Amino acid sequence: MSAVIDTHGHAHDGHDHHDHHGGYGGVLRWITTTNHKDIGTLYLWFSFIMFMVGGTMAMAIRLELFQPGIQFFNPDLFNQFTTMHGLIMVFGAIMPAFVGFANWQIPMMIGAPDMAFARLNNWSFWLLPFAASLLVISFFTPGGAPGVGWTMYAPLTVQMGVGMDLTIFAVHLLGMSSILGSINIITTILNMRAPGMTLMRMPLFCWTWLITAYLLVAAMPVLAGAVTMSLTDRHFGTSFFNAAGGGDPVLYQHIFWFFGHPEVYIIALPAFGVVSQVIPAFSRKPLFGYASMVYATSAIAILSFIVWAHHMYTVGMPVQGQLFFMYATTLIAIPTGVKVFNWVATMWKGSLTFETPMLFAIGFLFLFTLGGFTGLVLSLVPIDIQLHDTYYVVAHFHYVMVAGALFAAFAGIYFWLPKWTGRMYDETLGKWHFWLTMIFFNITFFVQHFLGLAGMPRRIPDYPLIFESWNKISSIGAFGFGLSQLLFLYLVLKAIRSGEKAPEKPWEGADSLEWTHLPTPAPYHSFETPPVLK
Amino acid sequence: MSRNLKTALLLALVSLSTFVGIIAKYWFLNGK
Repeated sequence: MSAVIDTHGHAHDGHDHHDHHGGYGGVLRWITTTNHKDIGTLYLWFSFIMFMVGGTMAMAIRLELFQPGIQFFNPDLFNQFTTMHGLIMVFGAIMPAFVGFANWQIPMMIGAPDMAFARLNNWSFWLLPFAASLLVISFFTPGGAPGVGWTMYAPLTVQMGVGMDLTIFAVHLLGMSSILGSINIITTILNMRAPGMTLMRMPLFCWTWLITAYLLVAAMPVLAGAVTMSLTDRHFGTSFFNAAGGGDPVLYQHIFWFFGHPEVYIIALPAFGVVSQVIPAFSRKPLFGYASMVYATSAIAILSFIVWAHHMYTVGMPVQGQLFFMYATTLIAIPTGVKVFNWVATMWKGSLTFETPMLFAIGFLFLFTLGGFTGLVLSLVPIDIQLHDTYYVVAHFHYVMVAGALFAAFAGIYFWLPKWTGRMYDETLGKWHFWLTMIFFNITFFVQHFLGLAGMPRRIPDYPLIFESWNKISSIGAFGFGLSQLLFLYLVLKAIRSGEKAPEKPWEGADSLEWTHLPTPAPYHSFETPPVLK
Repeated sequence: MSRNLKTALLLALVSLSTFVGIIAKYWFLNGK
């Protein structure tokens, strides 16, 4: 059964059809825009470009690891690639992608005309290209980009060249952008909901973003503090992390991971939000256990602040500390399990169809659960001490980040593309994109569990011959995975330029305001008069 | 002062205090 239905002519409340784009045209429109939809589009395209840049580095890493020995890159450049791949993917690709979704969707979902601070919104975005440029330019400075890993551990940070300073400044800018964006999102959701849109009636995507924004406001300043202390250690004679001056390098790890673990949920929670919109729409049922989803999301956010040291069991800590962090970490499995149960229960006895957004949502469900399970394995101290810094960890967090966040982002783009552009994507090509991504993702990363269990360390450009077979398979998977994403680019461009005109409500089961109260494509200015909600 | 501005300033204050507080804490703790 096709989910595509045409409801032309249904009633719309609270919108107008003045599709003017502000005072400027061309490039100036995009530089000066204060419209949430324009800024959402900017975030999404920026994120895709960064995804390609970070992906190219991933291809270089997998090319080097295709066989043992040093083939293409010297170890120093290899370290720079792994560092920048991580930083660019986390801060330049995944986070901006979900801020793009937030910009497009939150005002339309709560019945607001725009974000609370439209000019601030513009500035939040335009900080990003400067930050990304600093990261890329660092490759061309004396000593190259920092090769310290995306975690930027001390005392390595003190030993790097000027590229480290550019990276620290980039992190400051990225953090500032995130905090300003979060303040905007919280203010918009708390103060600008349409009458009748109570907090517990909001679509779950808005709830997950509200909680994520609080996490960002609390966690990003901690990272900013950590890199600022690294900067003063480098240039101003302080010894926060320098043992020779009475400082403590392990302190950096504690501070970094106090930010770093909430960061995992900063990436994952909006992905949960997207999936919580997609699964009910294609199951033609309301989300099962809405209230428990809200409470589970809050519980995950709170717990994320008391588990940071599970990233550093091996640095040496009292056994009581290890036990506390182990038990606290395993606790997270409970609210996460509630969410997985609710998504499955939503599909149970639903009238399911499997268009591309649903395929990516189900792919997310399988693979994120697997990534969560290996996270549970790593939370156990005795096992983690064996697996720390091995490819098992690399496999684990790629199942969370790629299969979790990226799959959810793809689900969201396919789901809302008709609303954003007024055009349908090619469903056949969409399904090809899903299956190629799904198959090549698993070829790339599933085998890395075996490499890790066999003892292959992460962040090395060369390895013993015994690891060759699985590395070859992983590299072949990575090249396939990377090429598959070119199909996604083609597919989106094709939809925008020559896609079939989208029906008013292409997804039968979609029931949030943007589908029920706005035409397709969404007008440039929406909800100038708040919608009437019963 | 509008309600939006009040909310934003409160959140900005929380962020800024965390940033300054974490550096100040280890500055005084380490006696730097």
